[in-house]
Amino acid sequence: MYSRLTIVSIASALAVSAVCAQDKPQPTVDELVAKNVAAKGGADALRALQSVRFTGKMLVNEGQIQLAYVETKKRPGEVRSEVTLQGMTAIQAYDSQQGWKVSPFQGRKDPEKMSADDTKSLMEEAEIDGPLVDWKAKGSTVEYLGTEDVDGTLAHKLKVVRKNGDVTFVYLDPDAFLEIRKTTQRVEQGAQVEVETDVGDYEKIAGVFLPFSIESGRKGDPDKQKIIIDKAEGNIPVDDAIFRFPTASAK
Amino acid sequence: MRSFFLILLVALLVDFNVRGQQPSPEPQATFNSATISGLGARNIGSAAMSGRVSAIAGTKESSGKITLFVGAASGGVWKSDDGGTRYRPVFDEQAVQSIGAIAIDPKNTKNIWVGTGESWTRNSVSIGDGVYRSTDTGESWTHVGLEKSERVARIVVSPRNSDTVFAAVPGALWSDSPDRGLYRTTDGGKTWSLTLKGPNLSTGCTDVAIDPSKPDNMFACMWDFRRKGWEYRSGGDGPEKPSASGLFRSADGGNTWTEVTPEANKGFPKKPYGRLAIAIAPSNAKRVYCVVESPDSALFVSDDGGATWDKRDKSNWMVWRPFYFANLIVDPKNPDRVFKTDGALIMSMDAGKSFAVVGGFQGSHGDVHDVWMDPTNPQTVFSGDDGGMWYSYNGGSKWWKGENLPVSQFYHVSVDEEDPYRVYGGLQDNSSWVGETQYPNGITNHQWENMYGGDGFWMFPDPADRDCIYAEYQGGEIARVNRRTHEGRNIKPRPNYKEKLRYNWNAPIALSPNEKGTIYVGAQFLFRSRDHGQNWERISPDLTTNDPEKQKQEQSGGVTVDNSSAEMHTTIYSISESPKDKNVIWVGTDDGNLQITRDSGKSWNNVVGTLPDLPKNSWVSWVQASNFEAGTVYATFDRHTFGDMAPYLYKTTDYGKTWTPIVTGKDAKGIRGYAHVIREDVMQPNLLFLGTEFGFFVSIDAGKSWAQFKGNHFPAVAVRDMVIQGRENDLVIATHGRGIWIVDDITPWRALTSDVMSQEVAFVSARPTQQRIQGNGGWANGDAAFVGDTLPDAALITYYQKSRHLFGKLKLEVLDSSGQVVDELPASKRPGLNRVTWSMRAKPPRVPPAAQVAFNGVRGPRLVPGVYTVRLTKNGEATETKLTIGLDRRAKFSEADRKAQFDAAMKVRALFDEESALMDRILFLRGALAKTGSALSESESLKKTVSDFDGKVDAVRKQIVATKEGGAITGEERLREHTDQLYGALLSYEGKPGDYHLAYIEALKRELADASNEFAGLVAKDLPALNDTLKAKGQPTISPPPEKVAVNDATANFAGGGGITGQNDPDGPAAKITLPADFRILH
Repeated sequence: MYSRLTIVSIASALAVSAVCAQDKPQPTVDELVAKNVAAKGGADALRALQSVRFTGKMLVNEGQIQLAYVETKKRPGEVRSEVTLQGMTAIQAYDSQQGWKVSPFQGRKDPEKMSADDTKSLMEEAEIDGPLVDWKAKGSTVEYLGTEDVDGTLAHKLKVVRKNGDVTFVYLDPDAFLEIRKTTQRVEQGAQVEVETDVGDYEKIAGVFLPFSIESGRKGDPDKQKIIIDKAEGNIPVDDAIFRFPTASAK
Repeated sequence: MRSFFLILLVALLVDFNVRGQQPSPEPQATFNSATISGLGARNIGSAAMSGRVSAIAGTKESSGKITLFVGAASGGVWKSDDGGTRYRPVFDEQAVQSIGAIAIDPKNTKNIWVGTGESWTRNSVSIGDGVYRSTDTGESWTHVGLEKSERVARIVVSPRNSDTVFAAVPGALWSDSPDRGLYRTTDGGKTWSLTLKGPNLSTGCTDVAIDPSKPDNMFACMWDFRRKGWEYRSGGDGPEKPSASGLFRSADGGNTWTEVTPEANKGFPKKPYGRLAIAIAPSNAKRVYCVVESPDSALFVSDDGGATWDKRDKSNWMVWRPFYFANLIVDPKNPDRVFKTDGALIMSMDAGKSFAVVGGFQGSHGDVHDVWMDPTNPQTVFSGDDGGMWYSYNGGSKWWKGENLPVSQFYHVSVDEEDPYRVYGGLQDNSSWVGETQYPNGITNHQWENMYGGDGFWMFPDPADRDCIYAEYQGGEIARVNRRTHEGRNIKPRPNYKEKLRYNWNAPIALSPNEKGTIYVGAQFLFRSRDHGQNWERISPDLTTNDPEKQKQEQSGGVTVDNSSAEMHTTIYSISESPKDKNVIWVGTDDGNLQITRDSGKSWNNVVGTLPDLPKNSWVSWVQASNFEAGTVYATFDRHTFGDMAPYLYKTTDYGKTWTPIVTGKDAKGIRGYAHVIREDVMQPNLLFLGTEFGFFVSIDAGKSWAQFKGNHFPAVAVRDMVIQGRENDLVIATHGRGIWIVDDITPWRALTSDVMSQEVAFVSARPTQQRIQGNGGWANGDAAFVGDTLPDAALITYYQKSRHLFGKLKLEVLDSSGQVVDELPASKRPGLNRVTWSMRAKPPRVPPAAQVAFNGVRGPRLVPGVYTVRLTKNGEATETKLTIGLDRRAKFSEADRKAQFDAAMKVRALFDEESALMDRILFLRGALAKTGSALSESESLKKTVSDFDGKVDAVRKQIVATKEGGAITGEERLREHTDQLYGALLSYEGKPGDYHLAYIEALKRELADASNEFAGLVAKDLPALNDTLKAKGQPTISPPPEKVAVNDATANFAGGGGITGQNDPDGPAAKITLPADFRILH
């Protein structure tokens, strides 16, 4: 467990230093990525985090509907997200090869393969470290675009262009260098789709700071999908089978 | 009794607010944009009338995908990735929103150039701050210079080199400036050089064209122009007066220029010129079109690259208002086909010999400014005009209307007292409209209604007659409009014998805050009517300077006379009667007089001379009498018509004897842009709102410090008016370029004190919460329609944080009066004020599992009104506040009725729980039976005995829930489905349930009891018999299910779920609360 007091005092110290930030030369991409990695817990801790499971709840329709939420990620790029209502669990999963889903709420509980475009968001979600870490190895390009106001915080703005051409604008807190917003632009079924995701409530899990609050929706949407994480577990044993498209016998 | 209680409640709450208005001490904590912007704002549009589009650019990929960039005159850049189906504003973070030109690099379509500052220089035109460049198709921007250009008319990227770009800069409209002409960069915008300069300080460049086949060959149009508050010239001071306008050619890529003259270039017209526009046919560079404003304005066409010219069309729409419409667009494939923008859009198919009207005033709005054609299929024509974007797929003949650009340019806004209240306002060239502020599923274009005509300005509901509205069009053409019959009776006061009344373009109308039905209108005299315009009293002498030099509008226009009332001057521009004393009336004039009467118009006193450091004749853009003191007034002055773009705000507390400068050019206090409007809060005298050309600013300390509001990406758009809806405490903002925005419940701004802002975290007061009646409405609009945000169906919880919360859980909980936590909410993390919504619902029922989600059971019943506690826990420290929740003031039922509804719903919730408990036992037993059965071989008769017993148990299950899976419309209804229908019926109305509802609860309980008894019988009789058989065969026996089976608490309390439609009737009314069929977790 991290010490909250320590974190707060570090943040305060950084805030003081940020007052003079305007006079400093612009940071480079490498510097910001290095600070981001360090802020998350360091490269070693990140590498050591091989799997993680989040448990909490999701709110939609202005919170009128609440769903139980579980998400499991495992390196090198597997993810399974579940939301449960009335005992029915909707699943979206990706096993590094194929995206699939179960959408049971209308009575059909068979797994369905997802289109390649629909899978792209899962491929991104599967990244335990986020888009900045190891961006070169992933074949992305990253550009620093200066600072931009993110709901009252003058955040560092980085543009990540992925190998497939999809874009994520990453906004880093100017003091803590952790992500506070990500705006993704993907082409899905021929149309560009933009999703703005705000993250916060970072907690240290297995040596790595992970966000416990996630809110996603269109830019400026007053009614975003909101996830509150109650528990995260790092390096838990996870059977790869949960990420794979279920065979008939495994259904 | 209920009414009395409500009145008492309201009185108590009002009293609370009044006591909350103690002038706050000067804040010491940081007060900035972050402090105030967390309240957010919702844009309600509208895109029904949309607004002026000044520039369009587009590309088409080989895949057929069309990317469009639309420049709004004062609403930023909008990008469409799909040929106009959907748009996103991509310029909101920039410092200005007025767009003059957009260009796409022909060699690399990721490079987009934007010149800011519109060049269609009407009286209300905004200003820019230079050129911006994007290298990622408009997703991010870099300012690349020419910051003093004020406006840019055209940008052209060299077809040879992406880094060589020309910017045609007409420059400052209202003043001399050397920063104008044709600029060139050869290093992608790092540096610029002036390659073509006018001979005086009022001549800039409006157009540039490059020969695509030989890019060294170029044309540029120079324009001599000037606007003042009272006159305008395109060209010289009169039709035949000298003008520096001209057409120039270069054969060396812009290094040197030669003027095109009638002497050297046969057929070109004689000087003087006004505004010109030039276009080279992309498919034949020898074909050049030039429209020339001159005493004999016409289109000139060259077929030898500009050496000689032939005079062609000079029809009305070729020569009308050149300052507003000088633009030629040639077909990318056919050199003979050319569009000329104007009041109407005209098109020639014969190289300009003849033109046909194809758009504007027929099919589309009119006042067209730009056209884009699909380069591979020029039958696809898109146009932008004063009414937004229009789309033609038959060559420009017939048009689809764009419904998705909320770039509407409001001048003014008012509100009524309906519930929900409506907004009223007039717009540039777009009449006067009434719009809803709340509507189920969002405020679409359908929730807006046009009520008059012309350009719209001031508009008010008649407080003395709900059927009637006051609206006007330019020049004081005020009407009283019946909103039901749409009859608009013109009630403009008329002049006396041989007298001329001078009404401003935006002539002021004001309602008395003291007398319902009393209305003022200003010409140079102030008029008052107390009988809805049946009669008018003239209650002042000429309150203006009456300067004859500023009354020569009949000579205004320069080369082409243009006297539309847009330059009418020496007029009254602002009127304000003191809410504290009806005899005190303030009047501000466009020529710089600030007049007060303290005897209801018998005598007047011009106090403008007492304002320190205010230059003479400064336009009084707003005068606002205080809501608290009769002697207090605020006034803003707008000097942009003199080229001074600074804000000016003054205050007096002694009827104008002495003045305090609050904001001036010398001490702007961080405020950008000339000032349009000042409003004082209705509850907290220190809370001031200032609207300028570059945004919306708030002060909580009577003007000592200011912060720019940026909530919900509110851009640096011109704010021309604001109004507070007193009952709701909402601030309604009229932007000139981005429609109407509402900041819901500004009570937290009133509560911001230095004490609050010095705390790490603190709750701030808010208006009382109503449980608004939940309605259904709206319909599928398609993707190509704007939908404004409506008020969330929730309680608003507001708190302040000194800094962004980043580490550890920021826990926000709601507790009921017994101290039990009823909900946990996702807390907002930003610095400053934060706002979180709470649905006010109890936990949903636990529903027995079945084939589909029980649609209605996804929600809990809405909790009853009362006082709840909100607890925010940060870093282990908890802060609490009370949240008072009441009924919708429109509700026709009492709190007792509401309680009865809640109790009935909770009974059904309990019934669901009982069904679930029984189902738990059934499933427990069936699980045991399955386990036993699976251990037996197929041949054993015992296996069939077990299976038969399981069949009996399952028969009970099938009485309780629908079981046919597969996603079809099974129509299968069992006890659970009937319970869900009843639950939905009870939730559909929050008043007293019908007796038949209550009776049905009992009926369903009996049905559950029957099933329960049957199951109990099986457990009591059949199971022991089975166990006897099992025992006899040496098999382990089966335990009876426990009375209460343990369930997974982690998911048991999440009902919710995707009922999608009324599940058994997909053609029934659309469900209000649904998960979409393709519900996805967003990543």
